Amino acid sequence: MAFDWTYFWAQLFTPSTAFLDGLFLTVFMAVAAQILGSVLGLVIALGKMARSRVLRGLAGVYIWIVRGTPLLVQIVFIYTGLAAANILRFNDITLSGITFPGSVQAGILALALNEAAYMAEIFRSGIGSVDSGQFEAAKALGMPPATMFRHIVMPQALRIILLPIGNQFNIMLKNTTLVSVIGVSEMLLVTETINSATFRTFELYSVLALYFLALTSLWHLFMAWAEHRLARSKTGLVPGQDAGATPKEVAA
Amino acid sequence: MKPPRISDERLIELTGVAKWFGPNKVLDDVDFHVRRGEVVVLIGPSGSGKTTLLRCINHLETVQAGQVRVRDELIGYRMRGSKLVADRERNIAVQRREVGMVFQRFNLFPHLTVLENITIAPTLLRGVPKARAEEDARALLARVGLPDKALSYPVHLSGGQQQRVAIARALAMQPAAMLFDEPTSALDPEMVGEVLGVMRDLAASGMTMVIVTHEMGFARQVADRVVVMAQGRVIEEGAPEQVFSAPRDPKTRALLAAVLH
Repeated sequence: MAFDWTYFWAQLFTPSTAFLDGLFLTVFMAVAAQILGSVLGLVIALGKMARSRVLRGLAGVYIWIVRGTPLLVQIVFIYTGLAAANILRFNDITLSGITFPGSVQAGILALALNEAAYMAEIFRSGIGSVDSGQFEAAKALGMPPATMFRHIVMPQALRIILLPIGNQFNIMLKNTTLVSVIGVSEMLLVTETINSATFRTFELYSVLALYFLALTSLWHLFMAWAEHRLARSKTGLVPGQDAGATPKEVAA
Repeated sequence: MKPPRISDERLIELTGVAKWFGPNKVLDDVDFHVRRGEVVVLIGPSGSGKTTLLRCINHLETVQAGQVRVRDELIGYRMRGSKLVADRERNIAVQRREVGMVFQRFNLFPHLTVLENITIAPTLLRGVPKARAEEDARALLARVGLPDKALSYPVHLSGGQQQRVAIARALAMQPAAMLFDEPTSALDPEMVGEVLGVMRDLAASGMTMVIVTHEMGFARQVADRVVVMAQGRVIEEGAPEQVFSAPRDPKTRALLAAVLH
């Protein structure tokens, strides 16, 4: 069977409503899981760096388990496994007319929990690469830990980890396809559904791949812009570079 | 004879302070005090504990024995019954606001402008309104000779300029005393003078200062008292003329011979 160009172009430029809904769901879940995962990741990073041995241990075990098991397994475990064991059942929630299916909630949660483990390590490396002199100067001025963290350490750490965070979101966009196994109608599942009726697998998956490529490319362009902006900023700090390095002396 | 601007009040007082780094005893039963308005210069060979002593004053280093007091308030620890227990970070942070510190490597905040570097602590920690803090910061910048650098970022300043901003940043908190940890050691020689000049003005204004330095000429001019350390102990102290011209301890003589020639 030859490649059906007419069908391909039609799917690419006039996608069905179901597919557009899937596209929206893909982006929505990726953004929600990335934000939730980042917040959680920061908490775990702080736990990993805490003075308390218990907190460090807990954070370490979390990262060990999450990074050591497949995301697909985690998704099924959280949605289907927990429900089967009568531990946690995700029910649909309706807020001002919009329904959030239980599977979408579980999907976002699973993606976020997984992301948190990776983000924790990224935050930790970012915070670790802020020069110790910055901590000392903040302390010597009398900043309590939270103030020091928010105003001195994080602004510098975020510049350092901008690129790895960008990569994480790229991966996140693509990982949303895994949530199709628990019945979330994101782009992949919608494509599969259409495919089961038409069997135009080659054309449909080409379209699906192109949509993902478009999403990741848009994100890539945004990151390139953000990086360029930061690199040109007057602070002289360049993302990815050690902000703590002794600034080079410029004759006045 | 002490100059009249020095009061009898002991602003900073360390008694019996001891500290180990692993098996090394870096501070060995040190007694040390600074009176209000006094300029004390700490000298000693590297590894003698002078920087560690300085860092104990604002609790950047913990101590394992003895007490550190600023304005008669115990620093870093609280009395619980008759026992000393580590104080909470938040309380220690409040205590540190009374003592400014200037570091060897400046440690300006690279993501903030010069003006923001100076205003961030008073606005966040003392609740000074932003406009007022900026006004004060500009006055401080004029005082350290950098009136036109307010909107620059640290990376665009020379080492000497960065260190002068760091002094202004510490002064913005209106501390009762200032600590200087080898403030000119990381500078190119031609920039040492501008920083020492600012410190000299500060001393003349009556600021209480503790200075760790290798600049013996400066120490001699500015110090009210010179304290010599070796192997974690205070081995000699006195007026600069006495310590530099007629050192009593052979280790002081050896140190002075090494740095002055």
